Amino acid sequence: GVAPLGPVPLQKEHQMQFQMMEAAYYHMPVPSDSEKIRPYLPRNPFATPSYYIQTPLPHSDTLEFFQRLSTESLFFIFYYMEGTKAQYLAAKALKKQSWRFHTKYMMWFQRHEEPKLINEEYEQGTYIYFDYEKWSQRKKEGFIFEYKYLEDRDLN
Amino acid sequence: ERLHAGPTSHIHSGILQVQARDFEDPPDLYEKTEFLLREWVSIINSPNNKEPPSKAFSMFVHQMNVQGILKTDDLITRFFRLSTSMVVELSYRLLSEQTVTTSGQIRLKIYHTLDAYVKLIAMLVKHSGDTQNTQTKINLLNKVLGIIAGVLLQDHESHHSDFQQLPYHRIFIMLFLELNSADPVLEAFNFQILTAFCHTLHILRPAKSPGFAYSWLELISHRVFIGRLLQITPQQKGWGLYAQLLMDLFKFLAPFLRNAELAKPVTFMYKGTLRVLLILLHDFPEFLCDYHYGFCDVVPPNCIQMRNLILSAFPRNMRLPDPFTPNLKVDMLQEIAHAPRVSPNFASMIQPLTFKKDLDSYLKARAPVTFLSELRSNLQVSNEPGVRYNISLLNALVLYVGTQAISFIRGKGLSPNMSTIAHSAHMDIFQNLAVDLDTEGRYLFLNAIANQLRYPNSHTHYFSCTLLYLFHEANTEAIQEQITRVLLERLIVNRPHPWGLLITFIEMIKNPTYKFWNHEFVHCAPEIEKLFESVARSCMVQKAA
Repeated sequence: GVAPLGPVPLQKEHQMQFQMMEAAYYHMPVPSDSEKIRPYLPRNPFATPSYYIQTPLPHSDTLEFFQRLSTESLFFIFYYMEGTKAQYLAAKALKKQSWRFHTKYMMWFQRHEEPKLINEEYEQGTYIYFDYEKWSQRKKEGFIFEYKYLEDRDLN
Repeated sequence: ERLHAGPTSHIHSGILQVQARDFEDPPDLYEKTEFLLREWVSIINSPNNKEPPSKAFSMFVHQMNVQGILKTDDLITRFFRLSTSMVVELSYRLLSEQTVTTSGQIRLKIYHTLDAYVKLIAMLVKHSGDTQNTQTKINLLNKVLGIIAGVLLQDHESHHSDFQQLPYHRIFIMLFLELNSADPVLEAFNFQILTAFCHTLHILRPAKSPGFAYSWLELISHRVFIGRLLQITPQQKGWGLYAQLLMDLFKFLAPFLRNAELAKPVTFMYKGTLRVLLILLHDFPEFLCDYHYGFCDVVPPNCIQMRNLILSAFPRNMRLPDPFTPNLKVDMLQEIAHAPRVSPNFASMIQPLTFKKDLDSYLKARAPVTFLSELRSNLQVSNEPGVRYNISLLNALVLYVGTQAISFIRGKGLSPNMSTIAHSAHMDIFQNLAVDLDTEGRYLFLNAIANQLRYPNSHTHYFSCTLLYLFHEANTEAIQEQITRVLLERLIVNRPHPWGLLITFIEMIKNPTYKFWNHEFVHCAPEIEKLFESVARSCMVQKAA
């Protein structure tokens, strides 16, 4: 049998413990209880059919994987998954694709052509940027990118 | 009330503060606390707040000063007691309003308040006293943790089956993460922070607050918690603390698991425990190696797989020879000369001291014979079937005698093997136990031996020889049947299987000296016979590629 020493009736103390544990069983902790708040994409657990993928692809938490995502996806991750490893990897992938983050406008810029002007403080020219309010890429001519707003931390 | 000194004194004084029902707060303190807390939560959560939290914090400290809260330590702790009760009450109120569709938003609301409160605690701890003075900070942290634990215990008692784990769960984990963030001030006393949390969680162990058990298990298995205690803290200083918490978990589960009547709530807890063990086996096998003794002491004998997980751990730098290799010479392995580390100190568990003294003198003089005849009564604690023996004492005795035997043999310039282990005081004790104990006692005794059959080391080798010797020298078939049973039941469960266990079993069925196949119990029933044949096939034949 599975109880080689034979069953032993539960002591009163253990019965009490079981009752409390049983009660707790009906309000179990959920994953979000031990996580930072996700303002935009809260967890919403739902039983999905088993023939759907249940876990993310292997190695989908690597920079190589993020580099294969579209810029749109990277922007989405950047704005909607704040403070996560995914946001960090998205920023890294965007930087690799020569996007630069503007800390005043909180938007990503990419040179459309070689700047018309470069000096110590800024550069000026035509840029493509991602407008998170309109949710699209736009072009700006004659834009001055001041270097003091350039996010230049080394992402390691 | 017992006075608590040492590292937990501040935690206990926090708990006592909550439990002392005669506390009388100064007039207005409740209102002041409520006002301050409300202020803080709204500043921190305000969407227009662009200021860094440090600025909000210094304004808040100023407010606290104006309200006179920071005047004395006593007022500060009262503030924390009241605040904790307030955020807990708010959580209850909100949870009672939730429906299936709103539960997500309700939880979010609760998180906002609790997280703000956590932030306040973390900042007060960080900024209390001088920057260099970590003692003030750690005392405050212990005190606050004690207050939260005290509120939890009181709440657990008064709400009983309506107790909610959520507020405490969130406060503990968020505070832990906050205090373990990259920050030079906090890093300077990180180990004391870890200690404070471990002590608090030990006080709140499932046996003490079973309504908190699931959250508790989540807390102790959180990846940051495990990482900090087992990996990041240098010199393995966190190992003992973590081992204590695992022992708390095993002890809590033991009475439910031993009966094998697994109700859903128990099964859930059990599965969680197996997962934690799997993580530890994979990521921190050396930790399981070091504490296997303490863990096996509290895991019920029938939890075969749980124990196999613990006993299968081996140091990562070690390469184990395939147990199925034909003519594997275990004696030739270098590792079997090395003793494994064992925690806790098992020799001190041989109680009472008079028994230990008699044991030592018997091991020395191999006399008097009365020691052997009284051995059984020293181990037996009741006449009730199933709980006759002091399992801890039996485990300690077996390992102690074994380790003494190894040094005795080494002392003579020999190394343990089938002939050197025989005819000694140590083997007298083992043979006596095998013959003199009843079925229950012998089962526990053989289990105590089998618990040492792990990766290649001196204990594994000695106890493997001992078990085979006991089999060979047995005067009844019942003993041999029981030895077979103990080994077999550990092998027919799913993997993993400890290396030493496989080695011993293979030797027993392969080596003709043991005449294994001639025994009646091997052929007692057709299904048993089939089982042996299939085990034998997998053991005898080299694994097909």
